[in-house]
Amino acid sequence: MKTPNLKRTLMGATILAAGLNAAPSFSADITITMAAPDWPPTRFMKEHFDQTYTSPDGHTTTLDMDFIPWPSFYERVAASLTSGEQKYQMIVTDSQWLGAFVEGGYYLNLTDRINEDPELTAIMQDLHPALVSAYSTYPHRTRAQLEEAGVVPAPGVNYYGFPQFPDTYVTFYREDIFCHEGEMAAFQEKYGTNLPCTYEDWQDTDWEKWGQIGEFFLREAGDELAGETLSEPFYGIAYQAGKGYDFSTMQINAFIWQNGGDIWDESKAPEAQAEGVVNSDAAVEAFDQYLSFLQYMPPVAKTGQMDIFVEQDLYMQGKVGAIIDWVGLGEPVLDPNASTVHDKSAFGPAPGTRKDDGSIDRTGNIGGQPFVLTTWNSDEVVNEALNVVKWWLHPDTQIEAVKNGGQSGLMSVMASPEYNDLRPWNRAHVEMIDWQKDVWHIPEFFEMLTQQQEEFDKAITGQIGAKEALDAVAEFQQELLEDIGMIE
Amino acid sequence: MAVLPTEKHTSPATPHTRGGFGGWLLDPKRRGALLVTPAIAILFVMNIFPLMWSFGLSFFNYKASSQRVPRFQGLENYQDVLTDDKVWERFQTTAIIVGSSVILQLIVGFLLALLFAKAFPMRRIVLMLVLTPMMLSFVSVGVFFKLFYEPTFGVVSYVLNKISSEPFVMLGSPEGAIAGIVIADAWMWSPFVMLLVLAGLVSVPKYLYEAAEIDRASKWRTFRTITFPYIKSLLLLAVLFRTIETFKLFDIVYIITEGGPGSSTETIAVYLYRTAFQFFKTSQSSALAYIVLFIVIVLTNLYLYAVNRRAAEVD
Repeated sequence: MKTPNLKRTLMGATILAAGLNAAPSFSADITITMAAPDWPPTRFMKEHFDQTYTSPDGHTTTLDMDFIPWPSFYERVAASLTSGEQKYQMIVTDSQWLGAFVEGGYYLNLTDRINEDPELTAIMQDLHPALVSAYSTYPHRTRAQLEEAGVVPAPGVNYYGFPQFPDTYVTFYREDIFCHEGEMAAFQEKYGTNLPCTYEDWQDTDWEKWGQIGEFFLREAGDELAGETLSEPFYGIAYQAGKGYDFSTMQINAFIWQNGGDIWDESKAPEAQAEGVVNSDAAVEAFDQYLSFLQYMPPVAKTGQMDIFVEQDLYMQGKVGAIIDWVGLGEPVLDPNASTVHDKSAFGPAPGTRKDDGSIDRTGNIGGQPFVLTTWNSDEVVNEALNVVKWWLHPDTQIEAVKNGGQSGLMSVMASPEYNDLRPWNRAHVEMIDWQKDVWHIPEFFEMLTQQQEEFDKAITGQIGAKEALDAVAEFQQELLEDIGMIE
Repeated sequence: MAVLPTEKHTSPATPHTRGGFGGWLLDPKRRGALLVTPAIAILFVMNIFPLMWSFGLSFFNYKASSQRVPRFQGLENYQDVLTDDKVWERFQTTAIIVGSSVILQLIVGFLLALLFAKAFPMRRIVLMLVLTPMMLSFVSVGVFFKLFYEPTFGVVSYVLNKISSEPFVMLGSPEGAIAGIVIADAWMWSPFVMLLVLAGLVSVPKYLYEAAEIDRASKWRTFRTITFPYIKSLLLLAVLFRTIETFKLFDIVYIITEGGPGSSTETIAVYLYRTAFQFFKTSQSSALAYIVLFIVIVLTNLYLYAVNRRAAEVD
């Protein structure tokens, strides 16, 4: 008599389970594991999520951030994805990785969901188009191509990511020396132009003046600086010149674009060529200009190891007058426990190339990261992850993020009157974001980037010249891209 | 009076009498095999299977980052690797670093061994301090030396700045960067060579030196005819062991120079890592890994030959 009872119980449980699964409003415990670089913008996201997030679908949602140190971030994420462990539901990703991991089948195409969800559509419409282009589209579409479509989301375009932290590089500078009367007068006397002190002065600073600043503030131990005797050498300027990852490409691309040169344009594949473009006269001239300023920088620049963290560190130690670095690295500069110049720092737009009409072109390579969803998530997890996206890109959350050292990609938030005053670099960020373009997104980007970084490094360390380096880059890219059918 | 049954008739639990699979398995004849089975299983899962798998992959055109179905292409990857100028450049760089570093380790290690072969105050404490570098992690050593070489605030530049007004930019040239890596590696592993040589030195019978002194043999002759024969096999061991290890050098290079300037310090191990985990050329990197493994096996056999010879000499 036991058996029929057991059968009935099992059948009942099965029916109940099936019914529960079918119920649309069933609330569940959902854990979203997100791969994230370990730095303030992601740490804040986790803290703020734990304090404020409530699932609109009634789920009990946990955001489990896997904080990974920056230097090993790509390798760790790539290893996880390609190993098939399916650990992450969301990933903070560099925009360059989109192609590799979309083609690998790991990043979820969100185009249909964005089209079907008015909230997500509204977010995409409010995002700055430079960010949508760089962070979301694959195959890559330029900002001009997206704007040409006239509607957002643009038809025929695949969308994958949303901004987690949109970043641009700006100038960090020492007000105590740049606004010192004696230094200003001496600079004026020597170069016949003003030493940039205010934000407006930096708006009018081009690369020529950047070089003058470097030369002017190159001081030996025992020299005077802003009325004080130096106990060690001092350097006027620094920007990224590192061999690792993209730590010279990001700055060199800016020089090339501003000078009318270009990198290989994936949005015009397969017609776009590498040879003749990457090593054009304009590109060589721009790279030469980039190299010419290294002589005024701390000597670590000559080793090819001045990455974004090293220049930030040298600035915080008070050894450099002005650096060009990512906004995301600004917060430690203002920390009295970490920075000797926390109370002397101000921020301005990065210098650029002066055009014939007197205006300054500040085209730069976008930084920051989008976050994406992975393909193995259930519908329930995808929906909840998109709820997290909506929460993060809600204006209230974005304002809180900005107050805590983050940045927003939403044009409505950036346009709010309080925005520029929330953090000291915000005005520069808003000005710079309009100039942003991005490097390639194809799956072979790392191979291209590594070879390019090696050639740039040879030029930075004085082994070869700008032309030789760009010729080698162009030849390599042409061959590689022809091999994979991206150039015909 | 009842007769109690004897124990030998009533103990079915003894292995001798247990039947079925359990009894068969616990048979003393199989006990040894049973005990090593878990270790072999782990070895198979963790080492042998991945080795076989990656060996198989080296004959396909598989990329871990791509969804394309891998296509068999025979020895093409091996051919590509062996005809790639970049690979030969990396082998050349590796050879330069291995050669320079091992020679430096031998010289420093040998001199240290001579020093510690004699008694002096606080010898034990100093010996312990000298041995410390080889106990540190590669990452720590790499970071230390990177900071030492830093031209703006590094200790090397600081000291040399007292002599020259120019900052000392050690890692700014290919030669300087190679020297920087060699010095770091030699600093870490010279104590290892010292330990081996010291073992040889202390094994030399004292009476041989006394006899040499009575014969008024010169220092050089004493070393050549008494000391060196006792340590030569150990020196060979040190050379082979350090060559094999330095051939696989990755951590220190990656941390100090990341292979730069340009690619002038990129060893074959760093290049292999980039090919596998940055470019995701999985099959090609497997082929390269097997070529590197082949070289290491050749070196290891030389090492084993030296060990056997040493054992024969001791016997």
